[in-house]
Amino acid sequence: MAAPSAVGSFPNPYEIETPPGCEGWEDMYPYYGRFDEERREADEQRFWFWNSMHFPVPMPAFDAICIDTAYQALGSWQNRVFAVPPAMGIDWRCINGYIYISGNPVLDPEKIAERAGYFQKRAGYYYENWDELYAKWRTKMDALIAELGELRVPQLGEYEPDEVAFGDEETSYVAVLDAYRTALRLADVMWQHHFEFLLLGYGAYMTFAELCKANLPDIPDQHIAQMVAGLDVLLFRPDAELRRLARLAIEIGVDSAFVEGRSPEEIDTELAASEAGRSWLAELETVKEPWFHMATGDGLYHTYTSWLDDPRIPYASLIGYVGALKAGENIERPSDHIAQERDRLATEYAALLGDEARQGFDQLLALSRTVFPYVEEHKFLCDYWFLTSWWNKIREFGDLLVAHGFFENRDDIFQLSRLEVYSALDELLLTWATGGQPRGPKYWPPIVTRRRELLARLGEWTPPPAVGAVPEAVLDPALIMLWGVTTERVHAWAREQEGGSVLTGAAASPGVVEGLARVVKTVGEIGDVRDGEILVCSITSPAWAPIFSKIRAAVTDIGGIMSHAAIVCREYGLPAVVGTGRATSAIKTGQLIRVDGTAGTVTILE
Amino acid sequence: MSDSSYTRQLAELRHADSGSFGGKSSTLGELIAGGIPVPPGFAVSTSAFCAFVDEAGLVGKIAAETARISPGDVESIGAASHAISEAMRFAPVPDAVRDEVAQRYAELGEPPVAVRSSALGEDSQDATFAGQQETYLWVRGAEHVCDAVRDCWVSLFSSPAIAYRARLGGGDEPAMGVAVQLMVDAEVSGVLFTCNPVSGDPSMIAVNASWGLGLAVVGGEVTPDDYLVSKITREVVREHVHAKDVEYVPDAGGRGAVRVEVPEERREVPCVEAAELDALVDVAGRIERYFGSHQDVEWAIARGGELPASLFIVQSRPVTAMNRPAGTPAAASAMALVMSAFGVGERKD
Repeated sequence: MAAPSAVGSFPNPYEIETPPGCEGWEDMYPYYGRFDEERREADEQRFWFWNSMHFPVPMPAFDAICIDTAYQALGSWQNRVFAVPPAMGIDWRCINGYIYISGNPVLDPEKIAERAGYFQKRAGYYYENWDELYAKWRTKMDALIAELGELRVPQLGEYEPDEVAFGDEETSYVAVLDAYRTALRLADVMWQHHFEFLLLGYGAYMTFAELCKANLPDIPDQHIAQMVAGLDVLLFRPDAELRRLARLAIEIGVDSAFVEGRSPEEIDTELAASEAGRSWLAELETVKEPWFHMATGDGLYHTYTSWLDDPRIPYASLIGYVGALKAGENIERPSDHIAQERDRLATEYAALLGDEARQGFDQLLALSRTVFPYVEEHKFLCDYWFLTSWWNKIREFGDLLVAHGFFENRDDIFQLSRLEVYSALDELLLTWATGGQPRGPKYWPPIVTRRRELLARLGEWTPPPAVGAVPEAVLDPALIMLWGVTTERVHAWAREQEGGSVLTGAAASPGVVEGLARVVKTVGEIGDVRDGEILVCSITSPAWAPIFSKIRAAVTDIGGIMSHAAIVCREYGLPAVVGTGRATSAIKTGQLIRVDGTAGTVTILE
Repeated sequence: MSDSSYTRQLAELRHADSGSFGGKSSTLGELIAGGIPVPPGFAVSTSAFCAFVDEAGLVGKIAAETARISPGDVESIGAASHAISEAMRFAPVPDAVRDEVAQRYAELGEPPVAVRSSALGEDSQDATFAGQQETYLWVRGAEHVCDAVRDCWVSLFSSPAIAYRARLGGGDEPAMGVAVQLMVDAEVSGVLFTCNPVSGDPSMIAVNASWGLGLAVVGGEVTPDDYLVSKITREVVREHVHAKDVEYVPDAGGRGAVRVEVPEERREVPCVEAAELDALVDVAGRIERYFGSHQDVEWAIARGGELPASLFIVQSRPVTAMNRPAGTPAAASAMALVMSAFGVGERKD
């Protein structure tokens, strides 16, 4: 597996230097998340790639819960529940704040055979009962989101309320710790739900894609996706609702409020001044639950808030849609056309296949269409709705610590790991109870300040796409299905390690365009994107919808043809190349680049 | 001229006539019947060839010379080829044949024509005779057309053709038909396959195209522009534009084609546009449906014309060498395939 390879090499993870001024970054993360001396012999020989798909910027200490809990959940389902024969779970290590991951293979043929028995039985049960199990899943997710909504963070008063003295209520120290443990538990449960169907869903889809390619070797990936994609996708509803609101604004004559450059507050103020405007605002309120739980990014960082928290993104869309409608443009998603095209492609491709292949094609297409709602919907429910709400719940604990002088502002809480927060709450509750002097208010603020500074400096550093050994082949189904990390991709990264002006990735959405690059490393920078630029980023999410109407093409560091950038670009008819490994480090804002979304290449022209 | 014995309109021919007119002419007839745009023209039958060798008294010579060769002996084959060819080249085309050809040519309007060999067994699915027989382009005047017909007959006794027949062994006496067609003044021409012959993907049309007459592409003298187009969406799935440094154009004297250098500024310009690809995909689909099998098609787009009238098909034959897609294991159920994606069953590398 780790034999030296002719295709190039990756840096040794133990030889990567800490950027100047970033000493001590390790303290932000758990002891087991480093390339340590104890495991050096094994770790040097493993293939690790930067999970820039989920973690494009340096990891705040608290947000590391989205590594640990997510990989607990992924590993549990993949390794302990379904027992995917050749692969256990994902290990992670951190370099300079960036998260590198590596799969644990199963190599013993007997063990693989033993696991195959479990897998067939258990995964088979899921596929056979998918609709029923998925309906249950939706109920579980709804209940989980409701439970999070109901979770209260108790306040600490001078005296405990009467209910404690005269009733059965818990004392506040128990209630606060309980609430915190509950918050953590809800995140554990969310990730458990998140991964329950994920591998099986992607697996069915990937098998269909492989069958297509085995029989129709030149079929474009996007045709496969088009045949499977859902028609009424939860993920596209928020944007659809905005289009509806834009139409409504024009119908009832309040469109003049939507002026380019106005803030949401200014728009709301003007609307509130008229009867018609107030009715529009009332309609907006009905849309907000749940559609404004859309995230402004891919959701795995606390910084990706929801449209509720930051209405600038949906309002920017509203302004754009109102303007487009007034200019006589059609802003509707051509859903009839998409539906017809989806069925036409399926029928015509099937007609080209022999009887046996056609049977497999039909069955796998049906299975893929069955599993696909989950693949698309879990994103909205788990990553956007739950997580943006959950970060806000954690902010309430931040408020509590601010109230008692531990922090200056509520978001400081995210600079502590979840166990450090537990410790700070412990101390707060101890000193609140005893009336003693807490150390926290002096102890934590300098740490918070230093860590913010570290994250900013580490953000300037460019992580290599992979470290460790170049694998001969990538066999882990999870890496292939979820990250699009295939043997070819990894070998291309290794060859490109030397640099060069052509980047290769997956051809995610066809077409060729040239234009100026806009490198966007954090969601905060999306406001810088100008009309006609080419978006170059680590990964996008459909929540970035407003910029897709401005850009000419998209290029990402990581992701496969089912990544969100790919889906949205096909939706908007923009060329896209995803999974280039290093676009954000190789390309500079302002450079002229050519994106060939048909061939999967990006050329730096100057 | 319904009673003519040596020639027929291409449009009247069908596969059943391949025994008397050769593969190319009968296939062109089929294409016309299928509504495919083929340059108009007529076919000269194999009986004209037989009358020619008969009247020239060459039957015995051909038999004697070919009896002398041993398969694999390059020298003996060369000697036989030389002896027969020289004898044929100086023999007259029978008057009856000459008159018929001249009349057909007059009916066409005496335009520049392409004179192409139409061998027996050619264009069959079993054997690829491609390139073994001659084609004469840009031929003008009845005399020259008759000469070109004779030159086609002569090509039946080229060394490679004799060697090929010797290798196959046995068989009937060799004979050859000829197709005479209106010359297309091709601005761009090439070959297309109604599938991707490399990957075997039946949903794709593979197009090779270069400037000028088709000789450059067929003869492998240029690296043509290379397109893979989806039959289903007409998207260009892959496109490689190459430097096309030579092309064949009509000779300035009005007879024959000459090989010239493509001017620098045109070499790397894509030689077909979207609308032309679209027309090619369209005609490829019709040809494939008409024959019910994958076809290897020669095409040309006339200079100064307008699509679709400017597109002509000059030849079509079954694809003989095509890779099969890997496919999926026989009798594997959909669920078994999903299981194998997760590593159940055989390990896939």
